[in-house]
Amino acid sequence: MPTTRNIDEAAMRRGARAITQLATIALIVCGALAAPAFAQSGDKVKGAEIYAQRCAWCHGEKGDGQGPGAARLVPPPRDFTFGLYKIKSSGFDELGAREDDLIRMIRDGMPGTSMPGWKDVLSEQDIRDVTAHITTFVELDKPKKQVDYGTRIATSAESIEQGKKLFLEGDRCSECHGKEGKGDGIKSLKDDAGFRTWPRNLTKPWTFRASNDPKDIFARITNGIPGTQMPSFVEPASKDKLTIEQRWHIANYVASLGKTGMRVRPERTVIRAAKLEGEVPTTPEDARWKQAEPATFFLVPQLIAKERFFTPSNDTVTIRALYGDKDIALLLEWDDRTKSIPGDERAEKIADPEIAEDRIAVQLPVEIPKGMEKPYFIMGDAAHPVTLWQWSSGTTKTAESAALAVARGIEKVEARAAAAGGLTAKGAYRDGTWRVVMKRPLAAGDPKDDIRFAEGVFIPIAFSAWDGSNGEKESRHTLTTWYWLLLEPPRGNRPLFAALGVFLLIVGGEAWWARAATARRPRES
Amino acid sequence: MARRIPRLAQAVLTIVGIYGAFRLVFDVLLGQPIPSSLLTMYMFFVVAGVYMVFTFTEESTRELVAPIRALVEDPRRKPIRNVVFALTPLLAAWFTYAGLQPRIEAPVELRSIHPAPPSSVKMFGKRFDLLKLEKEEPKKFRQLVAEGAKVYVENCHFCHGDKLDGRGPYAEGLNPVPMSFQDVGTIAQLQESFLFWRIATGGPGLPADAAPWISSMPVWETFLSEEEIWKVILFLYDYTGHRPRLWSENADHSKH
Repeated sequence: MPTTRNIDEAAMRRGARAITQLATIALIVCGALAAPAFAQSGDKVKGAEIYAQRCAWCHGEKGDGQGPGAARLVPPPRDFTFGLYKIKSSGFDELGAREDDLIRMIRDGMPGTSMPGWKDVLSEQDIRDVTAHITTFVELDKPKKQVDYGTRIATSAESIEQGKKLFLEGDRCSECHGKEGKGDGIKSLKDDAGFRTWPRNLTKPWTFRASNDPKDIFARITNGIPGTQMPSFVEPASKDKLTIEQRWHIANYVASLGKTGMRVRPERTVIRAAKLEGEVPTTPEDARWKQAEPATFFLVPQLIAKERFFTPSNDTVTIRALYGDKDIALLLEWDDRTKSIPGDERAEKIADPEIAEDRIAVQLPVEIPKGMEKPYFIMGDAAHPVTLWQWSSGTTKTAESAALAVARGIEKVEARAAAAGGLTAKGAYRDGTWRVVMKRPLAAGDPKDDIRFAEGVFIPIAFSAWDGSNGEKESRHTLTTWYWLLLEPPRGNRPLFAALGVFLLIVGGEAWWARAATARRPRES
Repeated sequence: MARRIPRLAQAVLTIVGIYGAFRLVFDVLLGQPIPSSLLTMYMFFVVAGVYMVFTFTEESTRELVAPIRALVEDPRRKPIRNVVFALTPLLAAWFTYAGLQPRIEAPVELRSIHPAPPSSVKMFGKRFDLLKLEKEEPKKFRQLVAEGAKVYVENCHFCHGDKLDGRGPYAEGLNPVPMSFQDVGTIAQLQESFLFWRIATGGPGLPADAAPWISSMPVWETFLSEEEIWKVILFLYDYTGHRPRLWSENADHSKH
C-alpha cells in the first residue's frame, strides 16, 4: 500500500514529467519557427575551422583549389575564388550557386571525383557553416534566380524517342558526347582554367557529378556546365535555344542511356565461360557472344609501383568468355573516348602530349594455383610467373598486333611472340568502344610460360588497359585486381535423367493408388 | 454453429502460419534473417510436431486424411484428382532438375587481416626491433600532424579516402578493400610499430597467411622516407581521435 508520502512523490514526478514534456514541445515549436532563420546563416567562423580540418587538403587554405592533394587529382579540386560552380541550379547568367546546391555537393559528394559525401561526418549545421565559409573566398551577390523546370515531362518511350532526335539533330549533343553518348565526339576540350576536360560518357550514370535523375540532367542542359565547354541551352544569344519541353525530352533520353548491362556488379567476380560445339568466335561481331554472361570490373590507376599513375581515363572493362574443344576466346570491351593510332593526324591532335597505341592485356597464372596462394596481382612474382596476353591498336604504319609475355615481377617481363603460344587477337572500334577478341588454344606453347586451361577450375584472371591518348604507356595504366575465370563444364544429362526418374516414380505411385481406390470402391459402397 | 475448418486445412494453416511468423519476426521486425539451413531444421520439427498432434488419436488421423482419400476415391472429384496427379510429378521433376544444376561458386578467400608482426624486420636498409619500436610524442606535434596530412592526401586518400574510412575513389576496384582507420577494430587496436611495418613493407611484406599476393598496399619505403611514415601515422591517430596501443604496462589508457 502506498503511503501518503509515496503518493505525493508520485504526483510530483508526474508533474515534473508534464513540465518537461511541455518544455520539449515548446522547444521543438520554437526550433521549427527559428529553423528558416538558422538555415540562412551558417557560422563562418565555425565553418572556417571545419574547412581547415576537412577541406583545405585539396581545396587549399585560401580556397584556390591548390591544396597539397590537388596536383594528383583529376578533375582538379574546385577553386572557390571565382565563384564559378559546375553543378548549380541558380540562373545560367549568374555567378555563384544557390546555398542548396553547395550544401548538396558537400553532403552527397561528387561521384566520379575525389570529393566524398560528408553527411556521415558533418551535421547539417556543420555543412551550412562550411558553406558560409566557402562563400567568403569571393565577394558575390547572392544568386537571385533559379532554374525554371516548368512542368516535368515524365519519361516514356515517346519522350525518349523525341529526346534522341533532339540529341542527334544537327549534331547538337552528339558533337561532343558522341552518337551513342559515350563522350567520344573527338574534340580537344579545356576548361576556363586550362585543364583538359572530357565530355561525359552518358552511359555511365555512376560518374555523373549530380545524379542521373532527369531533373538534374535538365538543370545541366539548362545551365550548361559553367567554366567548361558544355553550353547553356537557354542563353538568348545561342542559336540553339531549347524549350523547357525539349530539354525534358533530352533529359529523359540521357537518363535512359544509363540502362546498359555494363554496370559493375560487385557480387559478379567470376567470368563464366560457356562451352560451345565447334569453333569459338574470332571476331567481336560474332552473334554467339550473346550466349556468354558478361562481367564488368573497375579499372583503377596503377598507383602501386614503379612510376605511379594518377590520371586515368578508362574506368571499367567488360569481359565475356567462350570455349570449345580446342580453343578459348575472350571478348574484352571497354569505353575509350579516343581511338589512339599514332601517326593519325586527327588522333594526334586530340592526344595529350605524346600519343601511344591503345592497349589491353589479360593476365593469367602460368600454373593454375591449387591452394589459395596466387601470383602477386601485378605481374606475378619470382615463384609464381604470370602470362600476359596483349593487344595493341596499331599505328598508321603497322597493323593491330597481339603479343605474349611472361612476367616474374614488375621488373622482370620477358616479351614473346604471340605465335609461340598460339595467341591471336582482333579488335574493332566503334562509337567510343573498343571490342577486342583474343583467342588461344586450351593447351599450347611452353608449360613453363603458358597456362594449360582446365574445365571446372577457378583460374585467377586480371586485366590492364592503356589509353594511348591519355599519356598511358608502360607502368602508366589502369588495372584490375584478381578475378576468376571458370570454364563451365557442360551441364550433362544427369539432372534430366534424375528428373525423369522422379517423374515416373510419382506417376507410377499415383496410378497404383488410383487403381487400388477404384478396385476398393464397389465393395465399400 | 459456424462450419469447422477441415483438419487438413488446420494442419496446413498452422505450418504456414509458423513459417510466416518466423519470417515476419526475424526478417522484417528484427532485420536479421534466419539462415536458410536453420530455418529448414526448425520447419522440420514444426512439421513433425504438427503431424504428431494431428494424428494423436485414430479418429483424428482419419479426419486428417479424409480429404485426401476422398480426392482419390470419390469419382465426383475425378477432374480435380487428375489435375493434382498431373501437377505433382511435374513439380517434383522440376525441383529435382533445378536442384541438380551445377553452379560452382568462387572459392572463399580467408586471410588474416592483422597478421602477427615479426619481432624484427628489415626496412630502409636497417633492422628494426618491432617489440621496442616506439616513437616518442614529439614537441612540434601540430606541425608534424599537418605534414603527415600532406603525405596522406598526396598518397593514401586514393584508396583509404578523404575521411579515412577506407572508401577512397578507387576503393571499389580493389579486393581486399582498403582498411578504414575510423573503425575501432583497426589502428585503435594496433601499436604504432605495427603501422610502421605495414606501411613501410606494404602488401608484399605481409606473411603468407595474410595473402600478400592480393593486397594493393604499395611498398611505401620506395616512395616515402622514414620520417614521412611517422608523420602520416601521427596524422592517422590525430584525425580519427584513436590512440595507438602501447607496449608498456603503465601506459596511460585514460584517453581512450
